[in-house]
Amino acid sequence: MQLTVKCFATLAPHSPTVAPFIWDAQGTVADLMTHLHVPHHEVKLIFVNGRSATPDTTLNDGDRVGLFPPVGGG
Amino acid sequence: MSLPDPRYARNLSTLSADDQRVLAQSHVLLVGLGGLGGAVLDQLLRLGVGHITGADGDVFEPSNLNRQLLATQNTLGQGKALAAAERAALVNPTVRFTPVAAFLDSHTLPPLVRPAHVVIDALGGLAFRRDLQHIAAAHGKPLVSAGIAGFTGWVAAVRPGEIGPADIFTPSPSPSPPSSHPTAEEALGNLAPVATLAASLQVTLALKLLLRRPVQSGMFIFDLDDLSLQHVAL
Repeated sequence: MQLTVKCFATLAPHSPTVAPFIWDAQGTVADLMTHLHVPHHEVKLIFVNGRSATPDTTLNDGDRVGLFPPVGGG
Repeated sequence: MSLPDPRYARNLSTLSADDQRVLAQSHVLLVGLGGLGGAVLDQLLRLGVGHITGADGDVFEPSNLNRQLLATQNTLGQGKALAAAERAALVNPTVRFTPVAAFLDSHTLPPLVRPAHVVIDALGGLAFRRDLQHIAAAHGKPLVSAGIAGFTGWVAAVRPGEIGPADIFTPSPSPSPPSSHPTAEEALGNLAPVATLAASLQVTLALKLLLRRPVQSGMFIFDLDDLSLQHVAL
């Protein structure tokens, strides 16, 4: 399926280098994180299509996924 | 305040004379006077918020100079609250500024929250943000919060009863044990343009809350690496 995936801040190196990203699988956000080698414990906020989601959220073709670590600098 | 006051002439007409009067009668509690707080303070002063209480127990050190508006060669070693008071007197002496040279805790915060119309979370680090959000909510006060790391930042308005970023980033009331793993801001640093943009977004949300204009809940997340801004419903 075709996804738009953006990993923020310290997770940015895990962002797919091509957009849109073609994921040759079906599954959840957790499955996608594993595929992208994103350390699950470093993800504090997941959002899919602009709404907060969970690792169990099932992804669909065309989804926009954001993965965000704890960010608290000031 | 007699209007039109030339000090606020260029706020018109995006801000009306009535808006300006509301701001002059408003009180904002600003917690943190560092990278976010210094820039927030400057904008609140220029907007004409009538009373600002600014709290920070820290002193300026050389590593603050890269981004903190109140950090200068002249303020190194000086308390941030005192530097803020001097800045307030320079920029807008018609504003009443109350400095609090202390790190607030769950005992000292409530008396400062009570008289404020809006609380602004300009803290560095995530440790105290959960307490701050929940104390503001317990007193019926809206909170405007922000955090930055590298090119990334988030800003959120949290009204009492709403889920806020602190619930997501620090869901447990007890802080997790110290880790050798650096936080995002320790790993990536904090840049002046990112701090200032986050501060501008915070002040914009605070302004709308003070003027009782519509404000969207949830988080606004920006990334200056690709100049993107998006909204996330929590």
